[in-house]
Amino acid sequence: MSELTLGLMYGVATLVVMFSGMPIAFALGVVAVSFMYFFMPASSLDTVTQNVYEEMASITLLSIPLFILKGAAIGKSPAGKDLYSAIHTWLHKVPGGLGIANVFACALFAAMAGSSPATCSAIGSAGIPEMRRRGYSPGFAAGIIAAGGTLGILLPPSITMILYAVAAEQSLGRLFLAGIGPGMLLVGLFSGYAVYRARKEYKLAHAAFLNNGTASAYLEVEQFTLAQKVEMLPRVLPFIVLLLGVMVALYGGYATPSETAGLGAMLALVLIAIVYGIWKPRDLAPILSSTIKESSMLLLIIGMSLLYSYVMSYLHISQSAAQWVVAMELSKWVLLTVILLMVVVFGFFLPPVSIILMTAPIILPPLKAAGFDLIWFGVVMTIVMEMGLIHPPVGLNIFVIKNIAPDIPLKDVIVGVMPFVGLMFVAVILLCVFPEIATGLPAMLMGAK
Amino acid sequence: MSHGFELGPAKGPAVPDNPVVARLSKALDVFNHGLLMLSMGALILTALVLTYSVVSRYFFKLPTDWQDEASVFMLVGVTFFCCAYVQSLRGHIGIEALASILPPRVNAARMMFVDVMSLLFCLFFSWKSWTLFHEAFVEGQTTSSTFAPPLWIPYGMMAFGMSLLALQIAMQVLVRVTNKSDKRSAP
Repeated sequence: MSELTLGLMYGVATLVVMFSGMPIAFALGVVAVSFMYFFMPASSLDTVTQNVYEEMASITLLSIPLFILKGAAIGKSPAGKDLYSAIHTWLHKVPGGLGIANVFACALFAAMAGSSPATCSAIGSAGIPEMRRRGYSPGFAAGIIAAGGTLGILLPPSITMILYAVAAEQSLGRLFLAGIGPGMLLVGLFSGYAVYRARKEYKLAHAAFLNNGTASAYLEVEQFTLAQKVEMLPRVLPFIVLLLGVMVALYGGYATPSETAGLGAMLALVLIAIVYGIWKPRDLAPILSSTIKESSMLLLIIGMSLLYSYVMSYLHISQSAAQWVVAMELSKWVLLTVILLMVVVFGFFLPPVSIILMTAPIILPPLKAAGFDLIWFGVVMTIVMEMGLIHPPVGLNIFVIKNIAPDIPLKDVIVGVMPFVGLMFVAVILLCVFPEIATGLPAMLMGAK
Repeated sequence: MSHGFELGPAKGPAVPDNPVVARLSKALDVFNHGLLMLSMGALILTALVLTYSVVSRYFFKLPTDWQDEASVFMLVGVTFFCCAYVQSLRGHIGIEALASILPPRVNAARMMFVDVMSLLFCLFFSWKSWTLFHEAFVEGQTTSSTFAPPLWIPYGMMAFGMSLLALQIAMQVLVRVTNKSDKRSAP
């Protein structure tokens, strides 16, 4: 049987089993084991479990539960609300400052928690009511939070990037650093849009007041004393120290990525105990059980995805598909566009973990052959997957917003996030034109590849 | 990757109609809960071990060579020991696009098919894991590091966890078959 036929059968079987509703981990395992039975030597079935264990027993992959623990500890504490309030008091005089405060709070919280939905929930539950109280339109307020939350999978330590680093065999430290420039670019773009939109809404509110005396919260002036501003700092600074401490431990050569994960988790638990008094077993149990629930689900998917990729490689499906793509002799930008469109479509159905591990063996060789830097591509792919978090039909963050602000109609949330999808697209274009935005910082700190 | 954020409250384990199945299901839930507690401890211990290795190396100049493998073993244990607990909450995510489109009877048949196929896969995986564990135990296999801990430990945890997962899915199939109240929506 030709490799093309085998590949088509493998793809169709995967789609059928996945769309049956079987959990992704088991679906990948069922397809892989079935093809091993029919198309590989009988002895290969004896090594199924060993393959899964050997792929999973990587200390880099197994740092994931500890990064999740760190994020869950921060996410389930009131740190998000405090962070937002502190930034708001310091930025309230800047035009559109409330919107900027929300974007900054999302970015900082995302970097600490590493999770998009957790960021949306933590910052949005304080930020959306405040923005609406200050006259921001509901869709705009929802859009800022939904988009700001997506920074969680781009800024280090991003679990999506850990998986990409393993799948693409790239340096995790370099990849983490490569996410910082584009993350700051997105923060800048989101903040710029927030200022523009807030000023536009302010002008409309002002015109309405002049024309017919309609009062708007936009026109009210808010004041904070220096004492109020300083009062907010003690609750926030420890978490900023945690954020910086983790980065220093990782890049200062004090700890490996896995040790950083353990250290970060421990520091986060100590901080929420000291700052918020969350230390009793009954307080910690929800944090630990949600960490374990997510980690077990995720690591089982990772293990089976790696088995799935192993079978694809053994049957020469991935190599043939990669050669087929190369043989099409597409221009490098057409190739990139096709691959990113494929990632977008996969994002409608699959979580980033499966997209990365299942597609990496097929898409990375042609990209490498076309001369793309795989670190740079990892960042671009992550931004495209971020778009999937706020783009219909799946758009997890849209549903998180609906959960925390149920009175905002879904249509308004979707309309509100669309400008941010456009801004992410602009960021991808800018990264294509100026790849140094991603590759500059790792080259500066770690030397050229 | 939600890091503890959940859109809605987690579905609890299925409530069986049949009293015998209910007792078995309750016993399994209690056992899963015990393993969850054990895993919570292991998770904190892993974070402590990795923190200790950094502190020990930089402050006391005492590098350790066992922290990575100890951490891997504990996290493998956490992953596999709790996969049955996660399954009891239907926490292993899948694509549920067809659930809202199909007629109820067809959907019930689909869910049964999914559970039976998942069960067969987990049974196969458990069987092969026990074989691997047996080989590692009999042959005294160890990892290739200087610390060289025995490999039957992680293989055993993998085999035990997957067997428990198979048992959990079998219980869910049994609940689906024996529940009279509403077979179509039984979790």
